[in-house]
Order: sequence, then structure tokens, then C-alpha cells
Amino acid sequence: MNAKIKQKLLSNEAIVVYIILLLALIIGAVNPTFISPATGINLLRTMLVTLIFALSEMIVIVSGGIDVSFPAVSCLTMIATIKFLLATGIDSVPITYGIGILIGATFGALNAFLITIIKIPPLIATLGVSSLTSGATLAFLGTKIYTDLPEKIDTMHRISIFSYTNPAGNEYSMTALILIPAILCVLIHLMLRHTMIGRGMYAIGGDIQAAHVVGFNVAKTRFFTYILSGILAGTGAITYMILMRVADPKVLMGEEMMVIAAVVIGGTRITGGHGTVIGTILGVALLALVKNNLIILGVPTHFQTFVVGMIIVFGTSITSIRAKRIAEQAKI
Amino acid sequence: MAPKKSLVKSIDKHTLILLGLSVLIVITMGVHRPKFLGSANLQSMLVQLPEYGILAFGMMIAMISGGIDLSLVGIANLSGIIAAVVMLGLGGTPFGITLGVLGALSGGVLCGAFNGVLLGYVKIPAMLVTLSGLQVFSGLSLIITKGPAITGLPEAFSKIANATFVGVIPYSAFVFVLIVIVLSYLMNQTVFGRKLYLMGTNRVAASFTGINILKTTITAYILSGILGSTAGILMASHYNSAKSDYGSSYTLLTLLIAVLGGVDPNGGDGKVQGVFFSIIVLQLVSSAFNILRINAFIKTFAWGLILILVLTAINIPKIIREQKKG
Repeated sequence: MNAKIKQKLLSNEAIVVYIILLLALIIGAVNPTFISPATGINLLRTMLVTLIFALSEMIVIVSGGIDVSFPAVSCLTMIATIKFLLATGIDSVPITYGIGILIGATFGALNAFLITIIKIPPLIATLGVSSLTSGATLAFLGTKIYTDLPEKIDTMHRISIFSYTNPAGNEYSMTALILIPAILCVLIHLMLRHTMIGRGMYAIGGDIQAAHVVGFNVAKTRFFTYILSGILAGTGAITYMILMRVADPKVLMGEEMMVIAAVVIGGTRITGGHGTVIGTILGVALLALVKNNLIILGVPTHFQTFVVGMIIVFGTSITSIRAKRIAEQAKI
Repeated sequence: MAPKKSLVKSIDKHTLILLGLSVLIVITMGVHRPKFLGSANLQSMLVQLPEYGILAFGMMIAMISGGIDLSLVGIANLSGIIAAVVMLGLGGTPFGITLGVLGALSGGVLCGAFNGVLLGYVKIPAMLVTLSGLQVFSGLSLIITKGPAITGLPEAFSKIANATFVGVIPYSAFVFVLIVIVLSYLMNQTVFGRKLYLMGTNRVAASFTGINILKTTITAYILSGILGSTAGILMASHYNSAKSDYGSSYTLLTLLIAVLGGVDPNGGDGKVQGVFFSIIVLQLVSSAFNILRINAFIKTFAWGLILILVLTAINIPKIIREQKKG
């Protein structure tokens, strides 16, 4: 029992929690207004879309792959969807999500096809798809940024589940959109923990030969993973569009770095086979905290890229050194 | 003349296809758009080609070693910025320029060593190391420049890429040729080259034969870093300025060049001559796009499509063979 508690207290998730608490204490000491419900609401708002993308990336990494194409696919999803809505005059949130999910799933299937059937390494396949998709969006769908969304979609973000008014009279409201990543987190967690397909993702990510021998259908599991990842990316794209009330063909490009960073810091091993939803949530929270508060800590904004880079280097070094130690220990 | 001789002797099918492709493009474009063979276009090709050509060789070395280097563009920009800062600090004297170039190259060595140590010693996968390397190096560039480009570099420096020898050949083309010669010697004739191929083919077997994996990995990435910074110096000279986000489309392009040139993404295979002809083919395609006034976004689209198609064409025979086996 004692050993179990010790293991829990030293787990990857726990370390991220310590870092978050430490960071919150420092920021709170520098700026006392930090400790307020308003901060929580702002933080959740920052995390909202990133969390959906992080889930999409996490399941791919757990299954032993990587996906750098989701920013390009999401941009295409946004522009294609808004063009379709404006052309047909349809104004419905479920239909919007439906289209987004369909486009995401299609590109997920394309990635899975290139990786599983054509056997292109995942990074190179998704880099190619990224270039292809981004180029296609800008060349064939145009470079226009849409802010004239249909009314129901435009006002969707205003539905709030609770709000808080600070002593100065500013109102902070938590948009109901937060329920989307919340529900997705629960579903993905249950899938990874309790379903055969979820266990299959860990199995093929850990050791593809062993998974095959045990009887997992590697190709089927991979296709499922990438299509689900695409569906999540499509959902993320539509959620971004509704939350920010804009459809921009380039805005998410480069986002893959932050998302991969969040996933890896959350304890998901880049080599596959390890990773949890809770860790991913914590990783996203840590990066959102850093991103929102660098200025309060006196770090100029042009340091942000470097700071995030160093966080990734340290985060991955810790995971990697631990994995190395475990590998060296296990010689019975 | 030695490298040229060995180049002709060891010409293979892959290179022949690339050579045929370049001839085909030159003839088709030359007939339909005579401007394509004009000296203005030739000169602009020769200025652009060394920049990403040298980056592509950096990618080639990383890929042969069994990894990948996505941080090359970051190294190039950081080196350009180091060179710019040093040169402006010391004034445009020949001494200042030399020191700027040396500073940039040592920046490349340090960046490469950073990648190599994280990869070889801490054992983080190459993809993640170099992706975060890109973030760190671009971050450093942003810290130095605070965003905007550093301009007004010494005139003598900008002549490296912008002045020409006998009116057509920019001096940067000579740098490129020199690098091709040195690299084909290094990869084909030296112990280091052999070690690199062996390590990329099978890391475990290589370490059993007594190859120091850590040392070879670090050396490979330092070499890749030096090539990255050389490209950065040429870019800074060409634009007469340095910025943290120049050439962001080069990462995919260098990957495409390497793969088209016959470098195996899984490591251990790839030749300097293949990559050399692949650089030429892509430069011809790129110039053809420019002359036909095809939109830059279609170029991005085409690079992605070509990358996927080339890999599909390479892999399908392998898949069929495997299926026949059982």
C-alpha cells in the first residue's frame, strides 16, 4: 500500500500537478488578483480548443504514430464548412458539426491509408498531407477570412453555464462549449481504459509485433485511431470557429507544436504505448498557464517561443531518462 | 576531377530517372517559354538552389543516420541572425564579416550538438528532438531580433549571393559545388561515412561492431547543423537581412528533395548524387511554376502531393513483393 502511494506521488501526472501548483503560487505571489475564479474561467477558455486537439494527437501518439496534419486539416474544415453554410443558407449547429466531423474523418482515413497500407512513416505522411491540405485550402478555397458567420453559429458561444462578476464589476462567463472537451475527455478515457479497441491502441503502440501475435488487428486499430483522431480534429476546428467567431484559412498553422508539447509533457511517450487522458489535461493546463501568465511573471512576449521550446525539452528529457532507467533496471 | 569521375562511373537507375526528368523539363519549358533558358532565370535559379540545396544535404545526413532534422530552418535563421548581429556590431570590415560568418558556423555547431546530445545521450526520438530544437532555435532568434528583420548588412557580405562570376554564376553556387564535393568524399570514402550508413541501417548491429553510436550521432547532427548555418549565411546574404521566420516552407521541400533523391526515410540508404540531381529537378519545377505564374499556394499543394506520390511509387513494389512472400 505504502509503495503504491509513493508510486502515485512520483508519477508523471503528479509531477505536472506539482509544477502547476508551484507556478500558480509564484504567479499568485507576483500578482495577488491571479487567485480568483476569473483566472479559472480564462484558463479553461484558453484550454478549450487545445484540449480537443490534444486528445486527437494523444490517441495517435499512444498507438505509436504522430500527426502533424491536424492544423492544416482543421483550417480546411473551417473554410469548407463556412463556405458550404453560406452557399446553402443552412444555419444549424448540429449540421455544422456534422460536416466538420465528416471532413476530419476523411483526412483521418487518408492518413491511415498512407501509413498503414502504403507504409510511409507517420511523420512524413502527415507532413505531406499537411502541405497538400494547406496548399489546397489557400489555392482552391481562397485566402479570405470569414467573420460573417450564420446567426445561430455566431451566437452559440454566448450560452454560458455559469458566470462570475469580480469586485471591479467585470463579468466573466464560462461558455457552454467547455462541455464538448469535457465530454470527449470522459469518452476517450473510458474507451482507452475499458474497450478492446482502446487497449489495442496501447498494444500496437507498445510493440506492434507482440500486438499482432496476441491477436489485435493492427490495420483495423490504426484506421480506427486515425479516423477518430480526424473526427476530433474536425470537432476542434468547428469549436474554434464558434468560440472565436471567425473562420481563418491559416490561423491554426503551427499549432501542432503546442499540442504535441502538451501531450508529451502530460506523460504520453512519443514512442507509443503510454499515455493517459488525465495527463493530457494536465499538460494542456500547464502550457495554458504558462502562455497566459508569462507577461505577469515579467517575461516579454518575444521570449514565449523559446520558453515553450525549453519546457518541451525538459518535459521530454524527464520522460526519456525515466524510460531509460526502467529499461536498464529490468534485467532479471 | 576525381569526384566527377566517380560520379559518372557509379551513376544508377534512380539518378538516370532524375536526369531524364530534368532534361524533359528543360526541353518542354525551353520550347514553350524561351524565357526559361534566359540568363535572368538561370541566375535566379542559381541563387535559390544553394539555399535549400544545402539544407537538403543536412536533411540527407540526418535521414541516413536513421533520424530526421526538422530544425534545419531554425538553425539557418539563427545563424543568419548571429552573422548579422556580429557584422553590424563590428562594422562592415572584412574582419567583421569573417568573424560574423565564423560566429554563424559555430552557432550551427552548437545547435547540432544540442540535437545530437538530446538524441544520442538522453535518447529522445529524433523527430521530437528536432521539432523542439526548431522551437528553441526560432525562440532564440526571436529573443535576439524581438520580431522584425535585421537589415542593412555590409555590402561586401551581400555580394556572396548577389554578385556574379562572369555575369551569370553567383558566388553562392561555388559554395554549393564545394559542399557537394566534400560531402560525396565524406559519405563515400571515409570511415565516418561508412559508420553513418551502418548506424542508419541497424543501430544495434552497428553498436555490436564497435561503432560509438553516441559519437557518430552527435557528429552527424553537428554536420547537419553546419550545413544549416551555411544555408542561413547564404540566405542572409541573398535577402541582405536576417529574420526569425525566413524560409519556413523549406522544411517540407528539403524532406521532399531527400526522398525524391532516393534517401530512405527509415535510414541507412541514400546517395549524395541522388540528392544533388533531386535538388536540380525541384529547382527546375519551381522555376517552371514561377514562369508559368502559378500561385505559390499551388506550389505548397504540389510539394505535398509529389512527396506522397513519390513515396507511394517507391513503396508499392515493396508491398507487392512482401505479399507474394506470404
